[in-house]
Amino acid sequence: MASSQPIKSPMGSQSQNQRSSQQGLKYPSNGKTIYHRPLNRSRTQELSQASFAYLFGEMVSYAQKRVTGIQDLEKRLNNQGHPIGLKLLDLLLYREPARSQTRPLHIIALLQFITTTLWRHLFSRPADALEKSSNPDTPEEYMISDNEPLVNQYISVPKEMNQLNCAAYVAGIVEGCCDGAGFPAKVTAHSVGKGEEGELWPGKTVFLVKFQDEVVEREAFLGR
Amino acid sequence: MTCYSFYIFDRHTECIYSKLWARQDRPLSAGIDPSSIPASNGGAQSDLGPARARPARLSAQDDAKLIFGTIFSLRNMVRKLGGPDDRYIHTYAHTTGNGPRKWEKMLIQRNSFISYRTGQYKLHYYETPTSIKFVMLTDTQTLNMRNVLHQIYVNLYVEFVVKNPLSPVEHPGGVGVANELFELALDQFVKGVL
Amino acid sequence: MASASKAARIGEEVWKSRVDKVNAELVTLTYGTIVAQLCKDYESDYVEVNKQLEKMGYNIGLRLIEDYLAKSNTMRRCTNFKETADMISKVGFKIFLNITPTITNWTSDSKQFSLIFDENPLADFVELPDDGRAQDELWYSNIFCGVLRGALEMAQMQVEAHFISDILRGNDSTEMRITLIRYIDDEMPMEDD
Repeated sequence: MASSQPIKSPMGSQSQNQRSSQQGLKYPSNGKTIYHRPLNRSRTQELSQASFAYLFGEMVSYAQKRVTGIQDLEKRLNNQGHPIGLKLLDLLLYREPARSQTRPLHIIALLQFITTTLWRHLFSRPADALEKSSNPDTPEEYMISDNEPLVNQYISVPKEMNQLNCAAYVAGIVEGCCDGAGFPAKVTAHSVGKGEEGELWPGKTVFLVKFQDEVVEREAFLGR
Repeated sequence: MTCYSFYIFDRHTECIYSKLWARQDRPLSAGIDPSSIPASNGGAQSDLGPARARPARLSAQDDAKLIFGTIFSLRNMVRKLGGPDDRYIHTYAHTTGNGPRKWEKMLIQRNSFISYRTGQYKLHYYETPTSIKFVMLTDTQTLNMRNVLHQIYVNLYVEFVVKNPLSPVEHPGGVGVANELFELALDQFVKGVL
Repeated sequence: MASASKAARIGEEVWKSRVDKVNAELVTLTYGTIVAQLCKDYESDYVEVNKQLEKMGYNIGLRLIEDYLAKSNTMRRCTNFKETADMISKVGFKIFLNITPTITNWTSDSKQFSLIFDENPLADFVELPDDGRAQDELWYSNIFCGVLRGALEMAQMQVEAHFISDILRGNDSTEMRITLIRYIDDEMPMEDD
């Protein structure tokens, strides 16, 4: 699995051997390539949370310089999370025990995979809630809540930017996961830590998952 | 114990944060115009301690400049008089991070400047190896606040200012230091200590 | 060397007891997406990407040093550059990335050394683009150079750091070269009128 776009999907080893004589990628003579490392090696490895915070912080401030407004910034963070969602979907399914190693076929199964398996992997705990919109006009909407998103831990949003929620990055990861599983959706992050509940969880964030109409139609058809 | 004011100076010698606490125990002293006091100092109606209780009215900015000048000269003087003694001695500070807190040894430079006292107030000083300087003015009875300043650095400044990605890396004019989390935590922390 | 083993002990202890941790893949993937975005924004002008990564690292270094000092509780300056090298590898890299790159290839004036990265969490899962240029031009982990420059500048040391080899480029090892240029003096307050 590659971690980002400049990295190509692994090529077949055959074509690799044929090409390496003339052109193509160079490899260390001691064979230390990603193909020689077990994919699960880093599954349970840990790094300092501060390292993440610094990288994420630079990502946000770099993005800030190239956008026109808060929406634009969130869009950009979302875009950067998207490929990660795509990749994690594959990686985490691959790591599931053999009997549950199947792609989720229903909205609920997919969202449960996201709120438990994906969340646990990234944040070491499941999401705090998963709800379906109670509004009959919006059957395509689901809500995932996280009481204190790890990515926002060190972020203190200034008042003039209070619309901003940097968890848009996580929304992008969720969106990538949905898209990759064949459930195209738009996912956005919203701060809801205000009012009564806000005292307990000031950073509470709701990820609004809005599936495309065709997904809901298909689901209705499958349900019958 | 009473804490009058608190300042942070960065490595470019600029005051990047200042806070004045109102004093409860005395009525408003003459000569202070409440409207001249910046908004972040809490109750503007009471005496603000020796940092402001001078006949000549200085702006908060001038206060900060004076204090920096003082500590800068004092620090250098202390180093010069103490000679090139770069040895370190142990003092004790709270541990940080997870788990139960315990006192722990911490190294400080032997010839570093720690505090001075006048008849009216006491100035506490703490400098990090990155040349960030923390200064606190308290009443004369207060004991050594060096560890308190160290904790403000470790637990508040690093956590809420340094790690906040929306705050700039450096703080010309104090941009980004006085964020909500930092202000709140500082106020609580200082009230808790005193 | 005494300072080396002491540094190793501090690093271990801080990593074990005082560092909040996250899943390594979250960090690796986040770094990946940052590099990817830069490659896109600069249309695969890898020289520019290297520069941007260094700049980001510099910004991180300026902040990270405070965290490093706070966590390691070593509130003092190193006595010489060798000690600095030990602290970088065995405390700095240890508590932020859980690795301790090897220090080697000192010059005789003790102003220049190499760090060899046997492990590099940032580069896990990474293969550079096969476009005939990336392996010659892109230093994928160039952010490290900036981090060191920024962090040491805050501790009043001006250094220069750059990679000279990278496994991702097909070299047999990943090696960074660090040079001490000078110690920086205290800044003086501006003269008031």
